[in-house]
Amino acid sequence: MDGYPLGSLDHNVPLIVVSGLTSDPPDQPPKAKGQGVFLRSDLPPLEGKEANFLESYFEEVDERGKSWTVVTREEHFRLRVKTVGRTFVLPSRRATLPETIEPLTNTPILHSPFSPLSPSSALYPDGLMNAQWIKKHQEEIPSIFVCFHTLTSDSKIAVQQDNRLKSALNSMRATLVESGYKTRLVVIILGDAEAKANLTAEIIQDRLEGVRRGTGLDPKSIFYIPPQESPSELRRVMDSIFALLYNTAIEYYRDLGRHARKKRSRGIVPQPTLPPTSGTSQTLSLPDWNFRYDFKSAIFAEFRQEIDAAIRSFEQAYEILLGQDVLDIIPSWSPRWNEARLLADIISIRCLRLHLWMGQTSLAVRRWQSHRDRISDFVDRRGRGTNNYGWQAWESRWAMVMANMIEMVEVPGLGPSTMTIFLQPEKALFGERLQPWELLHHTGYWYRIAARHLGARRTLAHRIPDDDRGAPDASPASRVASKAIRYDTYMCPPPHEEYPLNGNGINHAQLMIDCLLNARGQFQARKQHRIAAEISLECAREMATLGSWNEVLAMLRPLWEDKSFRSEWWLDISEEILWVMRRAAAETGRADIVVAIDWELMNERFTPRKKWHYDLAKSLDGVSSTSRPFITISDDVASSFISTSFAFRSKEGRAGETCLAQLSLKSEALQAAAPVTLSSIRVEFEGHLKPITLIHDSDLLTNSSETPVSVTLVALTEQLGGDAKESDESEKEDKNDGDGDEDKAKDEDEDKAKDEDKDEVEDKDDEKEGQLTGKCDLTLRPGHRQVFEMNIPLREPGQASASRVVLTYKTDTFELDYTLSLSESGKVTGWFVQGATKPRLSRPDGHILHIQPRPPKMKLRLVEPLGQFYANEPIPLRIGLYNEEDDSANVKLDIRIVGKVIPRFRVDAGEHKREVDAAEEESQVTGLALGHIASSSSLELSIHLDPAPAPTAYEIQIRADYHLESDAATPIVQVLPIHLNIVNAFEANYDLMPRLHPDPWPSLFDYEDLQDVSDGDVVQARGLAQQWCLVCHYASFATEDLDVVGLDLALTAVTPGGRCQVVNQPELSADGLIVAPKTMYEARFGLVAQKITLDDRHPVAIDLAFVVRWRRRRQLADGESNSINVTTMTVGQYMVLGTEPRVLASVLHSSQEQAGLVRLDITIENPSSHFLTFGLVMEPSDAFAFSGSKQTTVHLLPMSRRTKTYRLLPLARGVYIRPGLVVRDKYFQKVLRVIPTEGMKIDKDGLLVWVPPAPEAEEKAEG
Amino acid sequence: MSAAIPSVACLGVIGRNNNPLHISIFPSYDPTANAFTPIRNPLQFSLLLSSTIDVFDLRSKTSTASGDFGLLHAIDDRLAAYGFETNTGVRMVCIVDMRGRRVEAGGSGVAGQGSGAAGASTASSTSASAAAARSSVGSVGAGLRDSEIKPVFRAMQSAYVRLLQNPFYDPDEHAPLGGKGGRRITSKKFGDDMKRIGEAWTPGVTTL
Repeated sequence: MDGYPLGSLDHNVPLIVVSGLTSDPPDQPPKAKGQGVFLRSDLPPLEGKEANFLESYFEEVDERGKSWTVVTREEHFRLRVKTVGRTFVLPSRRATLPETIEPLTNTPILHSPFSPLSPSSALYPDGLMNAQWIKKHQEEIPSIFVCFHTLTSDSKIAVQQDNRLKSALNSMRATLVESGYKTRLVVIILGDAEAKANLTAEIIQDRLEGVRRGTGLDPKSIFYIPPQESPSELRRVMDSIFALLYNTAIEYYRDLGRHARKKRSRGIVPQPTLPPTSGTSQTLSLPDWNFRYDFKSAIFAEFRQEIDAAIRSFEQAYEILLGQDVLDIIPSWSPRWNEARLLADIISIRCLRLHLWMGQTSLAVRRWQSHRDRISDFVDRRGRGTNNYGWQAWESRWAMVMANMIEMVEVPGLGPSTMTIFLQPEKALFGERLQPWELLHHTGYWYRIAARHLGARRTLAHRIPDDDRGAPDASPASRVASKAIRYDTYMCPPPHEEYPLNGNGINHAQLMIDCLLNARGQFQARKQHRIAAEISLECAREMATLGSWNEVLAMLRPLWEDKSFRSEWWLDISEEILWVMRRAAAETGRADIVVAIDWELMNERFTPRKKWHYDLAKSLDGVSSTSRPFITISDDVASSFISTSFAFRSKEGRAGETCLAQLSLKSEALQAAAPVTLSSIRVEFEGHLKPITLIHDSDLLTNSSETPVSVTLVALTEQLGGDAKESDESEKEDKNDGDGDEDKAKDEDEDKAKDEDKDEVEDKDDEKEGQLTGKCDLTLRPGHRQVFEMNIPLREPGQASASRVVLTYKTDTFELDYTLSLSESGKVTGWFVQGATKPRLSRPDGHILHIQPRPPKMKLRLVEPLGQFYANEPIPLRIGLYNEEDDSANVKLDIRIVGKVIPRFRVDAGEHKREVDAAEEESQVTGLALGHIASSSSLELSIHLDPAPAPTAYEIQIRADYHLESDAATPIVQVLPIHLNIVNAFEANYDLMPRLHPDPWPSLFDYEDLQDVSDGDVVQARGLAQQWCLVCHYASFATEDLDVVGLDLALTAVTPGGRCQVVNQPELSADGLIVAPKTMYEARFGLVAQKITLDDRHPVAIDLAFVVRWRRRRQLADGESNSINVTTMTVGQYMVLGTEPRVLASVLHSSQEQAGLVRLDITIENPSSHFLTFGLVMEPSDAFAFSGSKQTTVHLLPMSRRTKTYRLLPLARGVYIRPGLVVRDKYFQKVLRVIPTEGMKIDKDGLLVWVPPAPEAEEKAEG
Repeated sequence: MSAAIPSVACLGVIGRNNNPLHISIFPSYDPTANAFTPIRNPLQFSLLLSSTIDVFDLRSKTSTASGDFGLLHAIDDRLAAYGFETNTGVRMVCIVDMRGRRVEAGGSGVAGQGSGAAGASTASSTSASAAAARSSVGSVGAGLRDSEIKPVFRAMQSAYVRLLQNPFYDPDEHAPLGGKGGRRITSKKFGDDMKRIGEAWTPGVTTL
């Protein structure tokens, strides 16, 4: 915006001059020449804090008036305020005649000194317009002249003072009227505290009225400000006065505008005061005058803030200016041509501003473009063309104008905080086909365009031939003339200043940098970082042309560090940045950056630069550096041309063992690059692995250097922390060149290398940690992949992952450490084999190794384990410990048993014995020291658990804690878990069946038998007795055959008063009975229950238990027989010897000769104390014949029994026959069930008697 | 007698990792040299394309689901970048040169690539009339609506889909998941498609 004449672009707002608040500066005399209208009054200026406040207030208003932002409706006034003392000089309205000319005959018509008609004007005779005129209205001629006065409160001199005031105002008014200016005079009377105290409102009113009348002011022009409480109230009052005055001021400018329009409508060309005598003697034509009038109306409209009217008038003026009659006919060599261009620019800028004020952003851009197009067309046609630096200078200026304007007008919605890149078109243009550029973009774009044109300007300036670049006084006149025609110097310097032959001309680069930095700020504020980066690059290039390398570095360093473009693979861009930066770094001696960039640029992704050495060794050639720098860079900063991967052969390893691993280095350098020989490589791990250092040894050339991949086996030497103790752990796996000679040679080499790398070793020793070192050839040719295969001894358990690789490169000039990260998760690595280019067995996370703890080699084992343990059986467990370690071990044993109820157990280990009592849930033996077990020998111990009473389960954990004699510090643990599930060996079910007791019942009447109660201690039972038979069906639930050696029935409880004994039980052979699994066996026991006394009528409950004595059939090695286990199964409770009568049927088969005659005894027992009568009815049957009473009655005394006998002759044999016998209690009419005994059974229809088959048949069947 | 109309100056495909997948550059008409030359050099076009990523990022917060970003920004009074984003985050950018092609004012014929004859006629005509034509075209509306670029993106997208249908094209190789960078598209067919689209497009073309 600078470059345009001062005041030509100001935002025009009404001007108010305030006088009487300050004293005149003493050194400012009235205008020397005495020209102008001199407004003065002798009254003293006001003083006091109100005056001071008002002064600062006016400054504030004035400052606001300079703003370029739009005047909204909410804003009551926007004014420029000029504060003067009691005197003020208005410019004279009429120009004077120049003194040089001879006096004229007739009185000349004098014009304004700014008019082209006045010879004294700069425009005389044919200038169109200049900024002077605008300036005159904006700064010199106020619309309102405000005088501040006060009313004296001293009543004595009040009248005199008022009269003085009146006369001062009158003279001022008279001067104004005489001058012809329409400036309004306004008086503001400031009341002071004194006046408030002394004067009443009426007196003030009267005196004000007096002043007004005396001066002939209209009531709107005189204000009285009573003394205010606070400055803010004074401000409020002043605001309202200004709001009123503002309207008056607008009115003033409206008058002026009207005047301009009137003059235009006259349509005549005014004659100059004097006809021009110099130059072309040309005067302004009618279109020129019309332009002037339109321009004036537009400016006055702007004063009034009438935007529409202003645009209309400006556009009219602009059309006239660029029409056929004005600019077209001005010769391009004339200074008026450039003046006209300037006017066109000014009008356009003002129009742009008006458009922006109205929110017509797209129209503004369109206007911007159309002005450029029209001017370029004009310049092409009439001027010096657009292909010169002057045009580019203007283009850049024109873009800057827009940028500045957007900032100064503060276009809403386009500030940096809004993050908008461009504004949508205004409504009027909505739906039109718009150029993309017509959407108003933020200023960053405009600054960039300006910078671009500046670049073009420089290019064109540099094309100026040397002849034109000399100073004009040094070149012949003809050349000066031709230069004037050839070069467009509109708002830019002539060629000899633009790009002088000697000395500095325009610093184009600096201009561009300023522009670009402005633009960059805008883009950065809107998070357009990539454009900002691009601009930084452009800036850096310009700075490079200036040679300010430090600035270049400062500009590019952030881009380099945050890897913009590089991380996203914009290779061409990154390449550009890198090269510029490398140059800057080289110039400033930043060796680290130079090397880092060289390192990066060697990557074949980048296009090779011709004639570049691509050799790291030559990197610092020409870089001045004081000492040999030690450079550390990592792959976060500079990407590498060497890609690395690290893979372990397997996912898991064990401490104490070794694991194969491969480090692969691939050089992705440009083919033209020189091979790189690293001095060492260090692989670092996260977790429990020592770092590995590979040192270059040129003697160990890789034999397969022609293939794209070469796999080298590297022997590692382990150095323990600090003391550099070496163990030849991994010498043996050198299979590639594993000859003995080679090994020897290597050893020698190592010794040699030791001396060479002494300093390095010392370095590492400081770290006090062990490391692994190896030696190999570390030369990498472009495109070559070197794979180093190493056998890494694993020492500690845990997870180890290769974290980074540090490549060290040393030359005479510098030393470089390049760190590459390996710990990218999910990175797929593979295993390389000699001869293949691609890795095999690719797997993710190949750089991670799980190191298991050192495996215990002590074996714990259950000796001769039994498949199944049973309840009621003592459980012996034999545990064998076999030391398979290389060294003897000191073992301690813990035994822990978990279950519901843990029985007592005993641990027996040679001389060490422990016994633990039964416990609930858990029981353990700890710290059972077993002493030393020599290598590859064994120890056996046994655990004896007492029999479990019932099925259950035990978890036994046997844990051997041991350490080797050689390594007492490392505890090793071996654990043997045993799960014991204990089941019942037998299951049984039972049936208690009644039998007929053969003995006669005691008789109630047998007194002696009954009374002889006691016989010593043993009470002889004298009560009723019953015989029963318990049938036990038992089955083995074992998994194997068992020997049952005895079956017993145990009477666990009998109700007192009863007595019970087992009268017979099955006999087993001495070897016992082999009981097969899952097979039912039967055992019958005879039982006799008897009451002690006959008087006892209560039934007797007996509790029985079935006892099986058994043993395992297994033969023991040492000949001792298996112990006999006793399994007791409760049978349950039975009630016997009840008092109810019962009917027992017993059968007796005749001997063989009597041809199957069967005797059926029906015994009716009456244990009750009642006399009972029973009826017996025997039904005849087809199945047998019988003898005996068919129907009979049996009488039973209490405590008696009787037997009825039938003899049956079965008609069929080998079948059951069904005697239809019914026993009925006569008294209760109740049928009694006939209870079968041996050889009989019963179903729901009644009794069944088994008739054995005939002896022949029997024999047959048996046979 | 000729006037300038918009043409495609550059077509770019940007991968998910903000990496360039494809860049095609098309020559624009240069009235001073009367020849077709690219308006910027490849490096500058790369920079232009990368600069659109910022705008994509800025707009993606408020953008519609359709993926059509319309005008991203105008680089200057000649070049403007339009953008489109696929569901998979692949971004397509079309940089339009608003004065990239010449059209004879009388007819509707689009000047071909090597239109020497047309150039000669321009040279003979006065610059004044050229300016008049330019302004007349400007008033008629040499502008561009966002919708006029849509066919370009449609065509680019279908070309990209055809590329994806190629079993030998592995999209992950070109934009590794969660990774950085990625390879460029090397398919000749895709390149030819882009070339065809860029050369065939002109305002008003609905299918490419």
